[in-house]
Amino acid sequence: MSISNLLERQNPDGGWPYGRGGSWTEPTVYAVLALAVGGDSGPVDRGLQWIRAAQREDGGWQARPRVGESCWVTALAALVPAERLGADNHRRAIAWLSAAKGMESTTLFRIRQWLLGAETPPGQAATGWPWLPGNAAWVSPTALAILALDRENRLHPAPDLASRVDDGRRFLSLRMCKGGGWNHGATSAFGYQSGAYPETTGMALTALRGRQGPEMRESLEVALRFLAGSHSADALNWLRLGLAAHGRLPGGYQPPPGIAYRTVPEIATCVLADRAVAGQSVFWI
Amino acid sequence: MRRTLTRRDWLAGSAAALVATGCARPAHITPAETTVVRAPAYDQRLYDIVRRLVASQHLPVRGRTVVIKPNLVEFEPGSVINTHPLLVHAACEAFRALGAAQVTIAEGPGHRRDTLDLAEAAGYFQTIPGFEANFVDLNLDEVTLVDLPRRISRLKRVYLPNTVLGAALLVSMPKMKTHHWVGATLSMKNLFGVVPGGVYGWPKNVLHWAGIEESIADLHTVFPHTFTLVDGIVGMEGNGPIQGVPKPMGVLVAGADPVAVDATCCRLMRLDPLRMGYMRLAAGDPARLAETNVHQAGESIASLAQPFALLPQFRGLRL
Repeated sequence: MSISNLLERQNPDGGWPYGRGGSWTEPTVYAVLALAVGGDSGPVDRGLQWIRAAQREDGGWQARPRVGESCWVTALAALVPAERLGADNHRRAIAWLSAAKGMESTTLFRIRQWLLGAETPPGQAATGWPWLPGNAAWVSPTALAILALDRENRLHPAPDLASRVDDGRRFLSLRMCKGGGWNHGATSAFGYQSGAYPETTGMALTALRGRQGPEMRESLEVALRFLAGSHSADALNWLRLGLAAHGRLPGGYQPPPGIAYRTVPEIATCVLADRAVAGQSVFWI
Repeated sequence: MRRTLTRRDWLAGSAAALVATGCARPAHITPAETTVVRAPAYDQRLYDIVRRLVASQHLPVRGRTVVIKPNLVEFEPGSVINTHPLLVHAACEAFRALGAAQVTIAEGPGHRRDTLDLAEAAGYFQTIPGFEANFVDLNLDEVTLVDLPRRISRLKRVYLPNTVLGAALLVSMPKMKTHHWVGATLSMKNLFGVVPGGVYGWPKNVLHWAGIEESIADLHTVFPHTFTLVDGIVGMEGNGPIQGVPKPMGVLVAGADPVAVDATCCRLMRLDPLRMGYMRLAAGDPARLAETNVHQAGESIASLAQPFALLPQFRGLRL
């Protein structure tokens, strides 16, 4: 997968669509991250301009300009280095992300539950991030938020950041499926265990870089099994990133032929995964 | 862009309000028609069965755009989670035979982001020629903000995909399944898949916080004239909609009133629609759910009904 596939999909406004059509925040940020070390800076500069212009007064980003409210894509924008995004833009992004949390972890909700005499389920004992404010926390937005805040904390250590990252990682541990791996964040329903998905397993492993223990070993084995059987671009990209983050990607591994890279995020994360496998910095420093 | 109420909507709403306030006399309910036909298996016979079934509905589709919304959730080998691709293909062919200008298949799964990979695993690419060219991932479609006509849930407005909003006819093709939150998932619950994940995430948790049953009813008010074709050839019982077990029923259910079709499906599953929260909310007047207010064509319910196994919390729904 080459960066030319990304360049040809850039919209005249500087952003990128998922497939075709108007520009959305997620594909635009992924494309900028993937192209950031390329030769021609023009497309990246136009992309960065689009991202800066789309930032809202509260410091966050909407899924696309004028749609909804500031949401999970803010974590992606916060992964763009401050020297590229702009120091003030980046600072406000980190502030928005630091304040965001799943509705079930808010003081108001916990008081309500206490008044109702409801016990806090084990999966809600740690604080993660929601797709949208006012909703519960889930695995994917939590993993991306951890990546952004962990990166920031490594560059500019701060106890608050470290605490949110640790709690976010605890959230991921609590949402691990029985037997290892992750799905969207529901480990069981009515006593029935839910199975893991490949893409969310890769994403959570990426966010849990450096973590060890029996549960991690179990999830890494699940990820390796997914890697051998998946044909989804999204799944293989994130599995490669997740396994590379733990030094467990099999040597010389290449995605099987015939994988369809259809969307801009799929193409861009493939470029990022290639880079991570080659030992280059991607989401971490 | 926001879709607002037109003068015609206001007039219709005012008329409905007048009818609703005329409590002295019971409102007259025109029975909605549903059709139940036998379909023994997912085989080539389906094409003829579906063509005749769809043709019998007298739908105005000639020269117009039809959007078929199957139920694609997750894929597990050997499971019956999703609407069978052969039935979806048979429906596409039936609408094309009726002269539809364009037949698009569209879905926005609630858990998995890679919709086309899910469709491929579920056999859609293999079964439906040119599937990808005729498919729209509703999670990533262009969207419009739509005011909810009745505001049954906490939501006032919702972003919806332009592909669905622009369809002359939306066809909901659910799988006949039990559901661990609301009892059964049928035509109306299937419309959760039109809510765009690109805006609301995976899962579309905003609908859960707004109230699942209320959100189902809200979406129904946006698409009250959805045509429904239910895949009840092999349904799912027990811990549906994902982890249940196959329930062979050998039946298709169709109709232009989703409330009536879902009520009929409930009876086929031996569930009481009058005791289901979202059915009552969507119906407005519970009398619409009464068996006497559904004109039943084709096979009788009694000849095909089989009790679906239920989780303990739903045993009170049993007919």
